[in-house]
Amino acid sequence: MTLTIDSLVVGYGKREVVKGATLDVSKGELVGLLGSNGSGKSTLIKTIAGINRHTRGTITWNGGTDLANLPRRELAKIVAYVPQSIGLSFALDIKEAVLLGRTPYFGTKPRDEDWQHVEAAMRLLGLDELGDRNVTELSGGQGQRVLIARALAQDPEILLLDEPTSALDIRYQWQTLSVAREVTRKNNVAGVIAIHDLNQAARFTDRVVFLHDGEVIGDGRPADVYSPELIKRVYGVDVEISTYKGFAQVHPLSERAEHLLRTPPVAPAYTPVFAEARLELHA
Amino acid sequence: MSSIQTDPTLVGTPAGGGRPRRQRDRYAYQNTAIALGLVAVLVTAIIGVQIGTSGATFVNVLETFWGKITGVVPTDRAVLQVQTVIWELRVPRVLLAIFGGAALAVAGTLFQGLLRNPLVSPYTLGIAPAAAFGASLAIVIFGATAGSATISLVIGALLFSFLNTALVLSLASTRNLNPTSLILVGIALSQLFGALTACIQYFAEDEILAAIVRWTWGSVNNSAWYQVLVLLVLLGITFPYIRFRSGALNAIAFAGDDSAKTLGVAVSRVRLESIAIAATLTAVTIAFTGIIGFVGLVAPHIARLVVGSNHRFLTTFSAIIGALLLVVSDAVGRLVISPGVIPVGIIDALVGAPIFLYLILTRQKAIE
Repeated sequence: MTLTIDSLVVGYGKREVVKGATLDVSKGELVGLLGSNGSGKSTLIKTIAGINRHTRGTITWNGGTDLANLPRRELAKIVAYVPQSIGLSFALDIKEAVLLGRTPYFGTKPRDEDWQHVEAAMRLLGLDELGDRNVTELSGGQGQRVLIARALAQDPEILLLDEPTSALDIRYQWQTLSVAREVTRKNNVAGVIAIHDLNQAARFTDRVVFLHDGEVIGDGRPADVYSPELIKRVYGVDVEISTYKGFAQVHPLSERAEHLLRTPPVAPAYTPVFAEARLELHA
Repeated sequence: MSSIQTDPTLVGTPAGGGRPRRQRDRYAYQNTAIALGLVAVLVTAIIGVQIGTSGATFVNVLETFWGKITGVVPTDRAVLQVQTVIWELRVPRVLLAIFGGAALAVAGTLFQGLLRNPLVSPYTLGIAPAAAFGASLAIVIFGATAGSATISLVIGALLFSFLNTALVLSLASTRNLNPTSLILVGIALSQLFGALTACIQYFAEDEILAAIVRWTWGSVNNSAWYQVLVLLVLLGITFPYIRFRSGALNAIAFAGDDSAKTLGVAVSRVRLESIAIAATLTAVTIAFTGIIGFVGLVAPHIARLVVGSNHRFLTTFSAIIGALLLVVSDAVGRLVISPGVIPVGIIDALVGAPIFLYLILTRQKAIE
């Protein structure tokens, strides 16, 4: 039960963004997709999801199913996609928003089975207590939970998350990542999450894959893969790596910033007139 | 196979059929609203038929329909005259208002959903200015008088509406029909046809100018049975498709293009087909009535405030609101300065705007 991506090439026009990426993801595993902006993370995820078309290579599920050539509706029953944020033009209640995940399964009218999936997904993400609230009234974290619930209502075997935490504060980042972790494990789906935060990736993912300029240049457990050399190559930043409670943690080094922090602030030489002016401004 | 459902520790699927029943009731409100709306359309239609300079009673209306069904022609000249007025003037007028209002409202709902923009109306893609140009051209060529000119007006308006739609769709398809390109191309073509019409108006004689302006007000004054039938057939063909696509429409409107694709929706195809349908509904309606504004923008919003955003109910209820809005507006337009008639296109904004404001303001309160 593995998602296998082999020598995948994806381009927009003549420009190739993903240049022969090869990786695989097993069921129950959450793989973090790391890389700088423009490294091809998002493009790779969107290609697996069927939003983009690839030019060469293969995407297969279970060794046999060619995902890239599956009809859209059939693909949607296997692969679910969680976008960065919930884009809203019209009011819609939470339940209807989660029901969208059943689109590939029913025609015009949702069946009882569809509602059961919706309710199960809502319960799993703690959305049932929000009842019939409108999605426009939700916080960023709640909105993200609605999107994950929608993806789960799809009853997928592969769950793709495209930087789901980028717009969230730390509390909702952790909540979202915990849910992603829990869902891949307990529902036994193959999870891929594009993520910027290396430390969070180390804590929440089983494995990380580094993309650099459209190519995979690192693949393995965070503790094994994270190295100052690799991170310098990918992000152009000097780092130190430590271990905290068994998780690799990355600390950027900056001579300049540290030097400034060690330097005491210069005593401000305000003239009395200037100080009064400041006071007036504050009053 | 992985499944949320099959994992009992996570789901705890409730035993028994309690929950599904509750789900079936979930849309009871929407279905009731639609049923009541249909009754309201029928009632206002019957009242609408009775309104006019030569009075007609409810019994007259019933007799007229009974006479048409049985084929019995009344011998009394006075009765015959009343029945002729009802059958040849009033009924087509009211039905054109109903089907025209429904068509514009459905088109508005489709455009707003497909372009994911609540500010969009059936005229956003430039159909109205194009139709106005076509109609103006017909008026210039065939003269300002009605009668023989009417059919050329209809054809002129239709021709340019379709030309405009074809241009918008082919130009925007180079950008994958994404909503922003569609709207921008629509704006550009609106300006172009608007300027062309202005040219005609600038050089036209007063009589021609008056005829052009009168057309752009939009009315059901020149209603004819063939128009009613064309719209009925058109709605009858397109409505099942729109209902069938309601799930796809929901996905496009509420999840966006990328997510809708991952939900199994062929986004470009659905958008192309649905826009073609919405544009056809709009073009045919305004070819018969002239440019009736407001209803296509506002009926979807009023409907959304009542039955919610799910397109499975929204398109139907929008059609009902659009029909009601135009039937009532036309009745009001015939009453206020009787025997004069104010065009429905003017009244529907006068009647609709306060209703719309009331709904927005009261709903806002309910949210806070």
